[in-house]
Amino acid sequence: MNLILEKQALPGLLQGWREQYDVFLPQKLERFSHFLPLTPDSVLVTDEPHNTRIPPKALFLPMTETLVKFTRFGGYQDAQQNIHPRIIFAIRPCDAQAVQLLDTSFIQESYTDPLWLEKREKTITVGLGCHEPCHNGFCTTVGYGPFNKVGLDALLTDLGEVFLVETLTEKGYSLFLGLREAQQQMTEVAQRVQQQAYDKMPVAFETEGLKAKLEQNFNSSYWQEVSQSCLGCGVCTFLCPTCFCFDIADETQRRERVRNWDTCMFRTYSLEASGHNPRPSKVERTRQRLSHKFVYWLDQINQIGCTGCGRCVRYCPVGLDIRAMLRQAQTLPFEVNHAL
Amino acid sequence: MPDLDAIKTETKRLLSEGVVEVVVAFKPGDTPLHPQPAFFMNVDDVDSLVYDGLCQNNLATFLTRLPKSQKIGMLVRGCENRSVNALVVEKQKLRENLFLVGIPCEGIIDWRKIVERTGEAVIAVHENDLNVFVDSRAGNFNFNRADLLHESCLRCTHRTPVNADILIGEALPEGDLTLAATAVEVFEAHEIDERYAWFHKEAERCIRCYACREACPMCYCTECFVDHIEPRWTESGATPAGMQGWHIVRAFHQTGRCTDCGACERACPMDIKMTYLTEKLNHDMRNKYGFVTGLDAQTQPPFATVTLDDKNRFSV
Repeated sequence: MNLILEKQALPGLLQGWREQYDVFLPQKLERFSHFLPLTPDSVLVTDEPHNTRIPPKALFLPMTETLVKFTRFGGYQDAQQNIHPRIIFAIRPCDAQAVQLLDTSFIQESYTDPLWLEKREKTITVGLGCHEPCHNGFCTTVGYGPFNKVGLDALLTDLGEVFLVETLTEKGYSLFLGLREAQQQMTEVAQRVQQQAYDKMPVAFETEGLKAKLEQNFNSSYWQEVSQSCLGCGVCTFLCPTCFCFDIADETQRRERVRNWDTCMFRTYSLEASGHNPRPSKVERTRQRLSHKFVYWLDQINQIGCTGCGRCVRYCPVGLDIRAMLRQAQTLPFEVNHAL
Repeated sequence: MPDLDAIKTETKRLLSEGVVEVVVAFKPGDTPLHPQPAFFMNVDDVDSLVYDGLCQNNLATFLTRLPKSQKIGMLVRGCENRSVNALVVEKQKLRENLFLVGIPCEGIIDWRKIVERTGEAVIAVHENDLNVFVDSRAGNFNFNRADLLHESCLRCTHRTPVNADILIGEALPEGDLTLAATAVEVFEAHEIDERYAWFHKEAERCIRCYACREACPMCYCTECFVDHIEPRWTESGATPAGMQGWHIVRAFHQTGRCTDCGACERACPMDIKMTYLTEKLNHDMRNKYGFVTGLDAQTQPPFATVTLDDKNRFSV
């Protein structure tokens, strides 16, 4: 259902939600925006030219999360989360899409991560579409888009004085009870705004055939070339909304077992106890990062594991650009094996 | 601004005459704000070499990633030259295997300061010694270069490479040492609680991606202390203790080794200030020991030496 939300009514609506929910929304933190809990004086940041610096995956998979607490005499208990029902407001469609992608990893028939599941079930996501798509984002290239609805309970379109609210689930609808319904004409205006945003986004690289190119050139010198200036830090992966690797460590002085964000770009990530490292250099690690998103996710769930948010492009300290890397990959030879 | 053609000509000569096997420099990035470090091995590729104020990395960080025996050419600014010297002093590199193409440096532009003023949709950037011209989707801008410089560059004292093999362009006058001292004194003038609050506020944004470590030429340990499992030197997670442990120990490991190039700060994805820590250590090295990192390729940093007439012996 499509509803109309007056912008001046927004602060009241948000504060009203606080009675029942913890509300997280992008607010200013130093020089960037960050999902922080709503307080009576919170100022929503929606004029940022792009999404928050840290992706909202951190609200589901915190940088450090306690799994188990030990007691002094050999006992233990699972960590209690105490998650209050919550709303993530003004999440961008790329980041909401990423949460849905991560669901496929954390919520499976064979194993479901209880900590992830609890947070997901208690969270309502209200998306804010990107009527002015960001400069380094490339969501349409990877098959998603500035008004992509996956992973959202409601989606807002900025129409100047008002937001058009598209409620996408029961939970989403429940937040906006009492708003007036949008007339057909307003819905059409919103559709035009959305279409214009899609049209503004250039194709950053060709995805057709990309998977096969990357797979077939597994041993190509291409990987050496594109990883040459890589420093081997974790910026691209930690700021990536779909990267979810973690490492489990025992913090014995606090008697806690925790999981911390980890990344395939670190040497220690794949280092084995024997001293052997199956990904000994940044060449193999870079190949893993790109292949995971553009080959292995496709093998597993037939979706590209990159939502085009542009964070890795924006913040790479050596200016490595995944769009350029993949454009180059498309020029690789497609080796047909005649022996088969 | 240095003569780009002269840099290219020298780079080509180094490769064609076989002086070096590779020249470490910069090439254009996919966006104008982010030139990329590049490794030139063929003369034909050198035409794509770029050098401007947005080249934000300290190229010396790549030296310990390349074999010690390899003949390497490298573009060096004042700070990079001193980092190279520090690596030679620590026996990580052989000076005779390096050919340093020196560039007197007018300071590195902090791209974040551009984006703050113009938005991120930057189409082109041009600069001269005094001004930076930015074309962006939001319009055309003209900035004073000094307003966009990184803090480390504003207080830089050694802008001209100290012992490069060739200098492209005229040497610049030495910077004002009192500026570096002032930065430390301003911080030290605060009460201890305020200083701790500042340290905590900066460190707590850390996501432990270690971009600062990887960007630093002097962080070349095969195994960093934070990666040790047994014994564990600091908490592993993004907890206050873990983040503060990382930042304070990282800084202390730089004592007498840091050139205040600021590459750590520029690499940080969370805009964390950290050179105020290392600059304090540099300040103490200058004042207590009369030592400045990397002014030559022989002098050991004070904390790396021990002599029989040291005042305080290791006695109980």
